[in-house]
Amino acid sequence: MVVTSQGSHTTPVAPPSGAAGTGATTASSSPKTRETRGPLKVRKNTGGRRPGRVTATRSAAARRRDLPVALLLILPAVVGFAIFYAYPTLRGIYLGFTEFHVLTPPRWVGLANFREMAGDGVFWHSLLVTLWFVALSVVFGTLISLVTAVVLHRVTDSSLLRGVMLLPFLISNVIAALVWQWMLDPHLGVVNIVLDHLIGHPVLFLGSGPWAIPSLAAISVWKWMGYYSLLIFAGLQTIPSTIYEAGRVDGASEFQMFRRLTVPLLRPILVMVVVLTVINAFQVFDIVAVTTRGGPANASNVLQMYIYDKAFRQFDFGYAATMSLALFALLITVTFTQLRLARADESDLN
Amino acid sequence: MRMRAVVALGATLTLAAVLSACSSGSDTAGGSQTVNWWTWDDKQAAAYKTCAADFEKANPGTTVKISQYNVDDYFTKLTAGFVAGSAPDAFQNSVQFFQAYAGQNQLLPMDDFIAKDKFDLSRFSVGVNAWKFTDGKQYALPLDWAAAGLYYDQDALTKAGYSKADVESVTWNPDDGGEFGKMIAHLTVDEKGRRGDEPGFDKGHVKTFGFGQIAAKDFIGQTSWSPFASSTGWRLGDKESWPTVFNYGDPRLVKTLKWARSLTEKGYAPKLGEFTSSVSDVDLLSSHRVAMEIGGSWSASTFAKIPGVKTGIAAPPYGPDGKTRAVMSNSNGNNIWAGTKHPELTWKWVSYMGSEACQSKASRTGTFFPSIPASMDAATKALAADGVDLSVFTSMLKDKVLYPSPVYGNGAAVQDALNPLFEGYFAGQKDDSVFADMEKQSKTLLAKN
Repeated sequence: MVVTSQGSHTTPVAPPSGAAGTGATTASSSPKTRETRGPLKVRKNTGGRRPGRVTATRSAAARRRDLPVALLLILPAVVGFAIFYAYPTLRGIYLGFTEFHVLTPPRWVGLANFREMAGDGVFWHSLLVTLWFVALSVVFGTLISLVTAVVLHRVTDSSLLRGVMLLPFLISNVIAALVWQWMLDPHLGVVNIVLDHLIGHPVLFLGSGPWAIPSLAAISVWKWMGYYSLLIFAGLQTIPSTIYEAGRVDGASEFQMFRRLTVPLLRPILVMVVVLTVINAFQVFDIVAVTTRGGPANASNVLQMYIYDKAFRQFDFGYAATMSLALFALLITVTFTQLRLARADESDLN
Repeated sequence: MRMRAVVALGATLTLAAVLSACSSGSDTAGGSQTVNWWTWDDKQAAAYKTCAADFEKANPGTTVKISQYNVDDYFTKLTAGFVAGSAPDAFQNSVQFFQAYAGQNQLLPMDDFIAKDKFDLSRFSVGVNAWKFTDGKQYALPLDWAAAGLYYDQDALTKAGYSKADVESVTWNPDDGGEFGKMIAHLTVDEKGRRGDEPGFDKGHVKTFGFGQIAAKDFIGQTSWSPFASSTGWRLGDKESWPTVFNYGDPRLVKTLKWARSLTEKGYAPKLGEFTSSVSDVDLLSSHRVAMEIGGSWSASTFAKIPGVKTGIAAPPYGPDGKTRAVMSNSNGNNIWAGTKHPELTWKWVSYMGSEACQSKASRTGTFFPSIPASMDAATKALAADGVDLSVFTSMLKDKVLYPSPVYGNGAAVQDALNPLFEGYFAGQKDDSVFADMEKQSKTLLAKN
């Protein structure tokens, strides 16, 4: 910014003092630069110097000419945004204050849905279940991804291995969940066949209350681990190797370097990963929908599942929109707090 | 250049117009009309195709298009169709969604058609009243009827020393299970070959359960505990149509459910969640994991045709008084969509489906039981030739063992609120206080029509 404005400031002065040898080229190129850098000069030269004023009027005219084209060019994006994002959001907020069963027009009920939500035991239970799922998947997801990425970074150069790590991420959530459902089946699943030999009885991973959420969180962590590892891996590559050399010279062990160098320097990336896992985990739906459908006895009835059931099974769209709004507010608060607390926009590298 | 672009655009538009004309169907062109009919049952879709062919022959220029969608998506797709204006002209419906659709004016009352055609509703022996709405109008013709029966592995029974006659006359009571409870214990075998009533029985390693999945999350219990509770005189609703409360607090039901839970605790029946939902009742019997179970009448021919297992069918046991049997039956209905473009023609098709001619033909496949007695006889005869004995169900119908399931409102919400409570009870997480809670919730939700 500073550099360019100084440079443009000197251009009007340049032609008279221009070097004799390059006179022709400077003369032909300077009007060009004037035109393209117009906006900058307008601000810089409003003091009343003649050449400045000339460029200012010219560029304003050019801007007027560009305006219709510019509007035309952003039109598709604006239309898309309005139709697919702004309108549904506003309508969703509106529906939260209505009673709406799809087949008849929505009826305004004010805050009745919010009062119903406050007294709805299943909603609060779902919220707790969701928080439990988020806690498990964020803690284990981040830790496992971090360790995997560091091991990959420090131990191997094989891009094949890095590619393999990413494989679960390439499978669709539904397929991953279905395959795990088979593997965790109490009688037919390979996991339980092994467990039966080890501890003498199968474990009802998805079929018992206490196990349902940890099992779902494990599936989710397995699924996303490769992706987050890759993000952290990219972060690791931005850390200069000189820092590790210095550490080694000072006699630090591999674990000490991990704790004192890698983790602090990775902070912005780790914050991003945590924010992403939190948002992702709050929105968990597909793996629950294909495995437990919220059961047994609501033990895995996460918020999204409950909202889906209310809206698309019971056609109570008004109340479902209210709960979606609550989830929306919750997510905004959580993300905002996280970013503020973790200073994610600053890096410790410079 | 510009000329060429205009020509290209014109050509594209013409093509698009032609394509959309094709896809919107030929129902408006040249006097030919299409009636769309939906079902969630792939077997019924195939069965009714024979009726559709006859109907098209009798009504030249008419096409009947039968579509089938999986039951998990069926009602969502139907609702989306109501909103988008693309719902089928007529469709199979379950009583669970009757109130939701009729209450929002999506169903066409049939009274005018019935009066005009002098269509005799008394031809149906079951299911007519289930499709009468709170306004007193008839919104559907019953498509079928279904009940529950007792299916058993004949070899397992013989090995345990019981005869066919023993199962057919067995009695049950909710206190200790009576003769039937003893039979279940004796039919249970652990991995070392010890029976459930023998010393040293290992309930942690059961090879064959004496009874199937009685601990189910289903709040009606049609194919689990309902036939037992019903034999004590208990009924689900306080009245048959539009009940205000479900009688979950009734001591007769409480005792029945306690007995059901005790079976899973003793290892005589699988615990809730022991088999995933992808394992069906037919799978359990055919893999010898279960010796006996309550199952739906709609599975009768599938049970009878399990390779390598000789399956017997009996009526559920007699109740505590030794002579009462009571089994709930339900009927799906054939609705007409209020938004149909051809109400007359659709009624013609729906009333043809409700005729003896069509029912006898379609039900020969044994995939459903027709509501018309003469057709039921024809179906029974046809299936007997295939080795499927349906006499148990027909005699339950004749002996008035069957009683209709209640028609109630707010079905999906009731189901979503009550199923978790049943799951909680059978998983042992909830104690007896759950029954009062169930009754209270049913009262609140049934009132929310």
